[in-house]
Amino acid sequence: MSILVRRSNLIIPAVQQRMIRWSWKHDADAITIDLQDGTPAGEIQQVRKTLRQSIALAGKAGAQVFVRVNAGYVYADCDAAIGPGLAGILLPGVESAAQVIEAAGTLTELERKYGVSHGLLEIAPAIETGAGIWHIREIITASPRIRQVGIDEAALAASLGIAQSAEYDAFVYARGRVCIEATAAGVQPVAVADPIGVSTGQISHEEMVKIATDSRNLGFKGMVCGHTSWVAAVNEAYTPAESLVDYYTQVREVFAQALAAGTAAAPFAGRMIDVPVDEWAKDVIAMSAACAARDAEKQAALASAEAWPDTSVPIVR
Amino acid sequence: MASTSRRLKRSGLTMPVVTERFISNAWHRGCDYINMDLEDSVPPLLKDVARNLVRESIPVVNKGGADAVCRINHDLMEADLNAVIWPGLVQVNYPKAEYGHEIARMDGIITRLEAERGIRPGTVEIGANIETAVGVANAYEIVTASPRVRDFGGAAGYDMSRDLGVEMFVGFDQFVYGKGEVELAARAAGREPHAAPFTPNITGSVSDPDRAFAEADAARKCGFRIGGGLHPYVVEPQIRGFAASDDEVSDAEWVLQEYHKLARTGATWVQVDVSTADREDSPRPMPADSYLGRDRVIDRYEAARAEELLQWRNLCRERDQDKAEAIDRVRADEAE
Repeated sequence: MSILVRRSNLIIPAVQQRMIRWSWKHDADAITIDLQDGTPAGEIQQVRKTLRQSIALAGKAGAQVFVRVNAGYVYADCDAAIGPGLAGILLPGVESAAQVIEAAGTLTELERKYGVSHGLLEIAPAIETGAGIWHIREIITASPRIRQVGIDEAALAASLGIAQSAEYDAFVYARGRVCIEATAAGVQPVAVADPIGVSTGQISHEEMVKIATDSRNLGFKGMVCGHTSWVAAVNEAYTPAESLVDYYTQVREVFAQALAAGTAAAPFAGRMIDVPVDEWAKDVIAMSAACAARDAEKQAALASAEAWPDTSVPIVR
Repeated sequence: MASTSRRLKRSGLTMPVVTERFISNAWHRGCDYINMDLEDSVPPLLKDVARNLVRESIPVVNKGGADAVCRINHDLMEADLNAVIWPGLVQVNYPKAEYGHEIARMDGIITRLEAERGIRPGTVEIGANIETAVGVANAYEIVTASPRVRDFGGAAGYDMSRDLGVEMFVGFDQFVYGKGEVELAARAAGREPHAAPFTPNITGSVSDPDRAFAEADAARKCGFRIGGGLHPYVVEPQIRGFAASDDEVSDAEWVLQEYHKLARTGATWVQVDVSTADREDSPRPMPADSYLGRDRVIDRYEAARAEELLQWRNLCRERDQDKAEAIDRVRADEAE
């Protein structure tokens, strides 16, 4: 089975046309155009009119493009978004399977309307409340359209009356529960919004790499990036480092030698190497190859995009 | 085998059953159990050979008083059980347990084999090892699937890290949720949890005695009583770490004495100034160092904790005595 490589997901308000126009240059694996936050109610109709153009622009360099819809306007938002280049929707505030099933029904109807292959469009639920955390299993198993699920920690903090801080981690349980249940269901958990619940207004590349690496080592498979500067750090953190690949390549060699010698346990670099370590080594090497393939895919798309003439998109603001 | 009804599992060594020198030396390592491995440390080509070695290895590994245990293969469960359930084996560890029906099926097979092979019904325990996210998600149905599951744990280690896609030895507890769920399921089901609090380990060493002691000591203080490892160097530190210290024993005796005095008054708790406590009839004049200079509240909870500690101390003594006698017997036989 192919590995889904969706390390960074850059989220941009739909009204920020200038940002959307250049969003493809940031090397994100995915870009989410946000119809929920930052779009004044009076402008939503206008934004919807340019949404398909925005999706095409955002996807110029190979990023998968999602749209964060408004929970109260799923049909209208999806109706405006569906077309070439849309990978799926980010569904906010999910608390029950019923919401997923309803959204899936909407997508099915609109896929038929626009001649899109049935089931092509993903639903990425965002968990924002205690109820969502509690019902995570029924939510993520409600539709085969779900390949990723995220915790929107800023929204979760707000709903629980939590003041987020670097000093106290309020979401150990929530994160753990989502990672375990998602992994058990074969769905990728992703960290959403302010990573690890901490404000990241002034954060260096190195700090962001550390945050994303910690997030990966909790079981998350990617991150929604609220700022373009996070993308490179997140891609770096979620891509196995060359040194790690070298180490696990050696692990595989040592283990193969051990097997040839009639044992499946061998010491290496102060550690014990056995079957699960060798299996993990295979996973790391495979992930490295998958990331390289994804990067090559984006690189090819980027080269092609840079050769395109600029697409004229009306600037809303 | 231990004479106590509760099997102690403070320290155990897991070793490939196909490595003869490990098996033949296991009996004098001093651990509570020896886990003969058919799974991860045995190459695929040797699986058949390995399972057929278990029967003859049981009396080799348990002659020094350790319990004989066997870790079977998840995907070869039935064939492995048929080969390893023989008198003397007290536990089968089943890796990557994910569903209750797997455990129920094992229970049925073991029940049949016990009857066929003259083993007292219910003797063989099942160690249902949680090593995947699915296992964590189904923890309660797994632990309640058979009364043979008497302790329960996991949700950490290499298999778990692989399933979650996380690196081991990262300096923080990436498994905290899963371990908590499994412990909760064990406690809710009335089974003994097999876990340990997080103690940083960024080296990945399996032979560090100081770390082994620190982890066992921390585990005991958090209410856990089960350990295990891969290297003989960790056996003694684990046994020591799971033992109540002399100070703790004295303190527990003092607490019980104060509580018995309290019980005669009809009150439910009393605050004792440890610096002026009646020392004449106290078995230890001063409580443990950690309480020096502080008032102690003695109540039924403190008394229960003290009582459990003393019972645990006695169990450990009995178990250590059993093993020492067994080892002496073997050495005497060998001398003859």
